[in-house]
Amino acid sequence: MDWTREALVKVVFEILRDELLTVDESFTPSSNLVATGLDSLAVTQLMLTIEEKTGVWVDESLLTPEMLESCESLADCVHEQLAGS
Amino acid sequence: MSSSRGPELIPLTGADAFLRAFDDEIRRCNRANHISQLVLRLGPGFDVGSLRKILREITPANPILSAPVRRRFGLGPPAYRIDKAGRGVPPRLQVHDAQSPERSGPGVPPLFFERLNERHSIRRGDLLRLDAVRYSGGTRGTDLALSWAHMLLDGSGSEEFVRFLDACARGERRPDSLSRAQSLGPAAQSGRGGPVLSLRQRGDLAREWQTHMEGFAAHPLRSLSGPRRRVRQALRYHVLTLDPAQTEHVVKRAVDQAGFLTPMLFYMAATIRAHYAVFQARGVDPGSFVVPLPVSVRPKGAEGEIFRTQVSLLWFQVLPRQADDFQGLLEALKEQRLASIKAGFVESGIHAMDFARYAPKRVYAYVARRSLRGELCSFFFAYTADFLPGLEHFLGAPIENAFHVPPVPPSPGSSTALSLRGGRLNVTHVYQEGVFNAAEHHIFRDQLRTDLLGE
Repeated sequence: MDWTREALVKVVFEILRDELLTVDESFTPSSNLVATGLDSLAVTQLMLTIEEKTGVWVDESLLTPEMLESCESLADCVHEQLAGS
Repeated sequence: MSSSRGPELIPLTGADAFLRAFDDEIRRCNRANHISQLVLRLGPGFDVGSLRKILREITPANPILSAPVRRRFGLGPPAYRIDKAGRGVPPRLQVHDAQSPERSGPGVPPLFFERLNERHSIRRGDLLRLDAVRYSGGTRGTDLALSWAHMLLDGSGSEEFVRFLDACARGERRPDSLSRAQSLGPAAQSGRGGPVLSLRQRGDLAREWQTHMEGFAAHPLRSLSGPRRRVRQALRYHVLTLDPAQTEHVVKRAVDQAGFLTPMLFYMAATIRAHYAVFQARGVDPGSFVVPLPVSVRPKGAEGEIFRTQVSLLWFQVLPRQADDFQGLLEALKEQRLASIKAGFVESGIHAMDFARYAPKRVYAYVARRSLRGELCSFFFAYTADFLPGLEHFLGAPIENAFHVPPVPPSPGSSTALSLRGGRLNVTHVYQEGVFNAAEHHIFRDQLRTDLLGE
């Protein structure tokens, strides 16, 4: 499957909203993830779920605080990894 | 849960019951309890009267604070008996005058050590007490210790409790505004959504976890204290506080070497090597190092229940030869962390602890130690990152420093917790007297500083 950036944003958003975070309707793809309480365990669980869906493992050590600012910035990072794989 | 026909019960979480089992072991074998502590070192202006008033006000709204913990008719999971709580009886708050007018450097009042080694009657709801030690010298500061039955609050919850107390004092929160404690099933504690599992599926997960734990027996460990030590509990602790420049250097090293998401592995590697240095000085083979890492499974993005422990444990095992090289050790810990999360041990550990709640306390503690020949682990370890970020004052007084004091049974007899406060790294080393001699304390601290600072 060809993963577009938009599709990845949707996947990241849905995993976080439905499985990893306890958030209300105000949570959007632009919401700050650190402010919602995203921690290292949740990030690793997110990366594992993304790997299940896309087949690409995003090495956690490549992540920076900027990449975790929102679902969109995180999806950008995954998209770059997919493009390079 | 509340019931119109029966007594109001709040079952312990799996992690609560784990801690209760070791509380029982310490009570029977070591004549104390499993008491956790949080210390705030405050500047002038602390309003103890306000704290006393708030404690009085929050207790009726949160009766779990003084509820006995019992297993009803000896069956089912142990539970807080809310119907038997001492309604309106606030936690004890005592004010003491310090022996000397000024603080003696980083040393805490000896009273705080005593609190770790006293008996609390958990069956009677004696769960939390507070001690304020006032200094009469020019600084007019106060050291405040919260000491509680470990199952009542985890590290994250204890910080939220402090934040809540201060918010009440400033009128930002009402004393009755905390979400009321309720039953937390394993699904609610797993930190992940998804389908509800059947009993059989949960049993399968618990067995996977048990098999994982039994695998550690292939390389038996030896703690510095030795297994099942039946001595009177005599915990003390030492706090190493690095200055801001040193802390900045250490934090950068941790992020560079372990990644900004997992600096705790850098600190764990340093702590393993500090223990290993003591073994080497003794000329004793540790066998292996088995270390649990608590991971918070509190809901992320919403205020969860404060008065429950909501943690799972990731377990690590490394051999002494792996500890010879810091970088190699760190890589091994990274690999094990990822493999454990991938294998679902965070979730399966929760299910295993959930089932284990039904076991009698003695059986629980025995089984937990059986596969490691009476040892529980090599030492306890925790890293809790920033301590109360954003909270500069507590009840009118500036917070000059703050740290956690995680307790430890006399076996393994050693526990290390790290956290950051005001740009300074605090390393709290809690130990059972007699486990380290004076020379070994120096060896431990020197090795720790060397690896943290890269000297």
